[in-house]
Amino acid sequence: MERLWEKNRVAVILSAVVIVGMYVFWFMGKARAESMLTSAWGFAVPLILAALVGVVGERSGVVNIGIEGQMLISAFAAFFGAALTGSLIIGVLLGLGAGMLLGGFLAWTAVKLRTDQIIAGVVINIAATGITSFFYKQGQTLPGVFPRWEIPLLKDLPLVGKVFFANGPFALATILIVIVLNYLLFRTRWGLRTRAIGEYPQAADTAGIDVIRMRLVNVTLAGLLAGAAGAFLSMEASSTFERGITADRGFLALAIMIFGAWKPLQAAAAALFFGFAQAIASQLQADKVVDIPQQLINTLPYVLTLIVLAVAAGRVRAPAAEGVPFVKGQG
Amino acid sequence: MKAKRALALVPVLALALAGCGGSSGGGNAGGGGATDADCAKAEVLCVGLVTDTGKVDDKSFNQSAWEGVQAAVKELGGVSKYVETTDTKDYGNNIKQFTDKKYDAIVTVGFLMADATAAAAKGSPDVKFIGVDQAQPEKDAPANYTSLVFPEDQAGYAAGVLAAKLTKTGKLAQVLGLQIPPVEKFAKGFEAGAKSVKSDIQVTAVYHPAGTNAFTDPVWGGNEAKKALAQGADVVFGAGGKTGNGALAEVAKASGAGTSVFCIGVDTDQWNTVPEAQKCLVTSAMKNITLGVTDLVKQVKAGSIKGGYFNGTTGLADYHDLKGAVPADVQTAVADVVKGLADGSLKTGVTL
Repeated sequence: MERLWEKNRVAVILSAVVIVGMYVFWFMGKARAESMLTSAWGFAVPLILAALVGVVGERSGVVNIGIEGQMLISAFAAFFGAALTGSLIIGVLLGLGAGMLLGGFLAWTAVKLRTDQIIAGVVINIAATGITSFFYKQGQTLPGVFPRWEIPLLKDLPLVGKVFFANGPFALATILIVIVLNYLLFRTRWGLRTRAIGEYPQAADTAGIDVIRMRLVNVTLAGLLAGAAGAFLSMEASSTFERGITADRGFLALAIMIFGAWKPLQAAAAALFFGFAQAIASQLQADKVVDIPQQLINTLPYVLTLIVLAVAAGRVRAPAAEGVPFVKGQG
Repeated sequence: MKAKRALALVPVLALALAGCGGSSGGGNAGGGGATDADCAKAEVLCVGLVTDTGKVDDKSFNQSAWEGVQAAVKELGGVSKYVETTDTKDYGNNIKQFTDKKYDAIVTVGFLMADATAAAAKGSPDVKFIGVDQAQPEKDAPANYTSLVFPEDQAGYAAGVLAAKLTKTGKLAQVLGLQIPPVEKFAKGFEAGAKSVKSDIQVTAVYHPAGTNAFTDPVWGGNEAKKALAQGADVVFGAGGKTGNGALAEVAKASGAGTSVFCIGVDTDQWNTVPEAQKCLVTSAMKNITLGVTDLVKQVKAGSIKGGYFNGTTGLADYHDLKGAVPADVQTAVADVVKGLADGSLKTGVTL
């Protein structure tokens, strides 16, 4: 128990805040608590997926600030792919593919060509904004409604059941992805090697790990998650593509990645906490319980984040070799 | 070295692609008997229309305004043409295409074009400018610039009356864009209308957290709608551009959409603009743009047009497929409200 606390202080505190908060609302009204958590989770899903892109990248030693652009292009490819071909599945595949393609681009420029990783990310963001704005077409619609699945048994759990286990495919998959990735990163050989090339690539190289190849593969595959986040935005969370639909979620995700100390579970807790603060802000506005201008109420998530960061975090440390290109035989 | 050079190309390429949005849209000929070479003659009425970014057949503002122009020109005779804007930077140039040919009246669509229109009006004092849904400059408004505006509170009021008569749970929700006067007028009108039916009805309103994307955030709109539905609201009013559309589309996904859960659109008949919401869309709180534009073009011909604001009318869009879900007595009651608001016998009582 003590070890859990030591290792996951942020996650424990955040989860405690969210759970206690939820039960307060539970007593005020069951429907209210459920709706607040639904809203928080809906807000958190794309942030979690995007934050995981950053986690995998930076754990491997590659800084990715192009997540925003990856998501935007993916949202675009997913929506218009589905609208033009008339198939939701093709849309999803195109979205995932677009995310991976841009991941591959970042990996190639950052790892192979050893360019400045920040610049490569900025290029992705600028290109994504330009391309999606230019090719945007009005009046397209999805060929159908995105499905909603219910997990038997789990969906009957009080409070959390309907929120987490009766949802669209991406939202359901996110839960699985967080757990699996956390396991992979800290309990498998792949995870150990990934962390090694992000901390001390020279040592990893000496141990016989192909640093370059591993970074290429990891950053490219992480693009799949960005693709999922994008497709979630344009197909599941809404059913339309809009210029700038990502609304800086890719950057917020980077903050959540840091907030979550580069760990999938903690990042998920951080995103959920942020979504919960958002839900409270909108609820205060809707209920008019306090007579404060909504512009001020809506700063609540950011103020809460600052407070939690100051209290709980403080000890997070980035992977040592992130942002540094690896050159065999140097260092 | 070769690799580095290839790399330098990448940002250049990206910037070039990003810059592509600047290309200007071409002019398209509309209907009409005479050609626009005759526009310099006083007796030929020439009306040009510049769309906001988007197509003239967008089933929304652009199309409504263009239909208004065509209706007027069909009745009065003359020439009408439109230019489609592809980039906001081109507003001025597109207007210039008409002023250069000595058009009599130029209609510009959408509040984003207010500055460009006011500037063009100053440069061509002989041409009458009609701005659809635009705010006049705070000072030195040119006398040849007329803004067609709409009493949003009236549209919201009628929608509120309908919503209050449809709800079974007694809970209505509004998902709104940025908190600016036109949106607030819709929202307060909606609430006033609902309360005029049942004084104890619960009406919630959430505005988008102030930001640059307040009108283009369907994800946020959908999430708020989902939350409202989970709290028992059964009629959702989405007023805030694409943000509101996101809310409408989310309601359409809910179980009971169109039978026990409804959504109401805004500005134009959103049955056409947001087909994914058709399942729940009972009506839209509509600005009668076509009618207003036709009126103003006729005033140009008659020489009676005045600068400043011109108040158009509002109404509710057709019920379309959900006509069966609205009881006949409710339909009559709502129609009476719309009529009362239009002739001034009914006031919304909304002040900002």
